[in-house]
Amino acid sequence: MSTASSPHLAVATPERVALSLPVAGIGYRCLAWLVDAGLLFFFWVVAYFVFTLLVSDVLGVFQGLSGVGQTLLVVGIFATQWLYWTLGEVFFHGQTPGKRALRIRVVRLDGSPVGLYESAVRNLCRAVDFLPGVYAAGCISMLLTPRHQRLGDLLAGTVLVREERIDLDKYTARTPESGAPGVPGPKATRALTPDEVELVLAFLARAPGLEADIRRKMGTRLVDKLGGLTDEERTAVLASAGATEAFLRAHVQVER
Amino acid sequence: MAVALPAFVASRRPSWDSLEALLTRQREGTLTLVELRTLDTLYRRAASDLAHAQTFYPGTDAHRFLNQLCARAYAAIYQPPSERWTSVKAFFRREFPQALRRELRYVGASAGLFILGLLLGALVVLWEPRGAELLVPAGVRQYVSQGRMWTDDILSVAPPNSVSSGIATNNLTVTILTFAMGLFYGLGTVFILVNNGVQIGAIAALCAREGMLGGLLDFISAHGPVELSVIVIAGGAGLMVGQSLIDPGELPRGQALALRGREAVKLVLGCAPFLALIGVVEGYVSPGDLFPTWAKAALGLALGGLFWGYLLRAGSAEAGTAPEVRAS
Repeated sequence: MSTASSPHLAVATPERVALSLPVAGIGYRCLAWLVDAGLLFFFWVVAYFVFTLLVSDVLGVFQGLSGVGQTLLVVGIFATQWLYWTLGEVFFHGQTPGKRALRIRVVRLDGSPVGLYESAVRNLCRAVDFLPGVYAAGCISMLLTPRHQRLGDLLAGTVLVREERIDLDKYTARTPESGAPGVPGPKATRALTPDEVELVLAFLARAPGLEADIRRKMGTRLVDKLGGLTDEERTAVLASAGATEAFLRAHVQVER
Repeated sequence: MAVALPAFVASRRPSWDSLEALLTRQREGTLTLVELRTLDTLYRRAASDLAHAQTFYPGTDAHRFLNQLCARAYAAIYQPPSERWTSVKAFFRREFPQALRRELRYVGASAGLFILGLLLGALVVLWEPRGAELLVPAGVRQYVSQGRMWTDDILSVAPPNSVSSGIATNNLTVTILTFAMGLFYGLGTVFILVNNGVQIGAIAALCAREGMLGGLLDFISAHGPVELSVIVIAGGAGLMVGQSLIDPGELPRGQALALRGREAVKLVLGCAPFLALIGVVEGYVSPGDLFPTWAKAALGLALGGLFWGYLLRAGSAEAGTAPEVRAS
């Protein structure tokens, strides 16, 4: 499993079950930031263009604004940036649009959703993480901490976890042309380990997309790995890709 | 030996699927009471399935799926209390002033550092006038040598409103940086506090030498008390963060930091509206001759007094009840 080496956030629930959440690394976070920054940039560009459609002399209007208006504008621009991150995280279950696109989310160190304080802290610290430019401090902190936290995360006690898209259909799927003539039925020679089941199922899920040559080769290796066949049976099983896969599936699902 | 993995998945999957559907509805907020009970039951069932998978099918996709499903349900069920308008009111009525009073030591230390910088800057310039060349920005020096206040000029050349907005953002930056630099073991906060103190002290001393102290006081008296208080409070929050890093006590550094950080940010968040208000005063009242000096000074003292009166008194009636410690 590739996840064995990647960092995890271990959480003990009151039900006495240990959850372990995969932590999002620097790559995911940079991509999510790019999406968010792109959205904000796009928003400002659109806002600016709409504004220029309404009035031609933008600079003149800005200078002509009343003091309150100008103050509000500048504070508003700052607040929009900050509110975007904070409200996104508080009201959308720890996900700004960028994080949602990358399927990562901010949680507390105990796995519960972030509240207003945590989100406020980690987004106020964006300014420090950005120092001395392009999130250098934050990146160094992410590389050095075991859970890839930037300084703001350390201060707020938050961490970004990844959501994986896991397909359970492969466990229950059926090969259409099962029961080809001459193919022996499954024999319960020995119980398969979960790892072997996983391997066979992964192969079956991907087989339709493989090249014919490789598909046959891998099928053969798996059939030999499972073993327990006489020579004639083996030839019959290996006669076609469909037969091979039907045999493998039947073998894996024998104890159904 | 347990049942084979595909059989396990096939038999349990409907209940996982319905839990997923319920969780999606819970996010949308369209859950009935009956469904809520079902969600609870299904979550417990999924948790026991997870324990089963952990034992018999570790490292498989089914295990990871259950892990993720339970994490989602766990996050949905064990939610922190939702923050709403009432809690904002409670924050400003009680929590913020109480937090400040609890951490008054740090705010005091921060004020001490700031005053230290102030004295340092003033003494250097008073004893050695050339020190001003080092400590006071060139632009300000030029104005002072011509015997004018630089603030008058800002007002007459640029429109007055741009001053206010510039000041508001500048104050915000300084406040946030003063707090957040505490992450560098408090050293960043100490530096900013002392540095700001030195600059203001040096400018004041320079003005005093040139006989312009009155002009400077005229400018800063209206907003100075509250603004400097806010920066000192933000400095106190930064020092809290630094202290939790240097001396985390019995907790690991990360945990101590998170725990203290939540307290510290209360101080910064609480100051934010006052900072915005004082920015308006600084932009409109302080510069120019619109108001006489005594009116500015009276306003400044009144605002400062109100601010500290609020900080030291608000919510103290309920102080007898144990300060709320948020479950972490």
